[in-house]
Amino acid sequence: MSELRQIAFYGKGGIGKSTTSQNTLASMAHYFDQNIMIVGCDPKADSTRLILHEKAQSTILQLAAEMGTVEDLELEDACKPGAGIFAPDAPGGWINWTESGGPEPGVGCAGRGVITAINFLEEEGAYEEEGLNFVSYDVLGDVVCGGFAMPIREGKAQEIYIVMSGEMMAMYAANNISKGILKYANTGGVRLAGLICNARMTDREYDLANALAKDLGTQMIHFVPRNNIVQHAELRRMTVVEYSPYSDQAIEYKELARKIIANDMKVIPTPLEMDDLEDLLMEFGLEEEADEENVGKAAEA
Amino acid sequence: MFILGFHFPADMGNKIEDSIVVEKLDAMIAEVGIDDIAAIELEMGLRGKECTKFTYTNKDTFMFKALAAYLKDDTYVDKEGEKYLVYTNRYQMSELSKRLDSDDETMALCKAFDSMEQFRVKAA
Repeated sequence: MSELRQIAFYGKGGIGKSTTSQNTLASMAHYFDQNIMIVGCDPKADSTRLILHEKAQSTILQLAAEMGTVEDLELEDACKPGAGIFAPDAPGGWINWTESGGPEPGVGCAGRGVITAINFLEEEGAYEEEGLNFVSYDVLGDVVCGGFAMPIREGKAQEIYIVMSGEMMAMYAANNISKGILKYANTGGVRLAGLICNARMTDREYDLANALAKDLGTQMIHFVPRNNIVQHAELRRMTVVEYSPYSDQAIEYKELARKIIANDMKVIPTPLEMDDLEDLLMEFGLEEEADEENVGKAAEA
Repeated sequence: MFILGFHFPADMGNKIEDSIVVEKLDAMIAEVGIDDIAAIELEMGLRGKECTKFTYTNKDTFMFKALAAYLKDDTYVDKEGEKYLVYTNRYQMSELSKRLDSDDETMALCKAFDSMEQFRVKAA
């Protein structure tokens, strides 16, 4: 039996983490027969929407609240099999899923759901299922909140893939997440496994993402081009793999899946100082060096 | 580390010498053979929309070898007699070719490869 790999997808909010992770994991299951458990770590509980063809109906936190306490919860209540080609009895690999959930907006600690969910899953033996190859955490946004850093902090996820783009804030978040990994690399054994550029098709985006990856001491494992078919599939609540398995975009996700399965590059990252990050953006022409006298002035018509 | 789809073990680091990539490419070509490919036809643009077609013929370049090897690689499946060119691979081909090749035809192709267009390739 191959060793269980625990991976996580991190990245700035809205960068396409859940879309990228679900399409990639679907490819790993469908094309490469990998058995996967997805642990959605986002309070809006949409990390498994495309795998299920619907939004998850119940999260660990919701179920725990209904039952009174998480101790009353059974694994089969919270951890469910995937639908369609990802079901256990379908050919190829299977996908199981669970969502941590979180509090109402503006109330409580969103990271608490992540902590509760991971502890619950471990205690209930969810990671010991026969044939399970990968556990994948899809984690919201930044790691400034300790709860969202849980998979990193406690060494739960060993390999971190950062979904980013050539936009400044996405790169800033990627660098920040790398700082979080660095902080816990020695205590928890977490490593950065690569950047995934979910392209916004900005100027010189490939070069920029590649340069950031090199500076962080890692690799840009794949450049995922923008393609409307992803949105078309999402409207049907499907992954591209299911929606159009022979499409060009499915080939892109298949290639990313192949690389993640074969990937052995797991490094302690070397995050950049803010000035160095800005220098990188300027080098690739995304940000003009501003003279002090021009700060605050509008562009000329 | 992955370049042109080839896996380079992690202990080689994240800066792989061009010569090592070429070595790997040559080894693959020795195995699969590309002598039967006289030229490579490329189609630029979205599938099913108006596309630009051109033929690349310079067999003495790294670029030709990389494209021909891609055509022979079973990892990337054929569709309707041609192969969709994975973005990462093609940017890497262009990156390497700019350092290893110098002729005008290849440099023009590199410039096209640096765009955000889609490409499909087939053997001519």
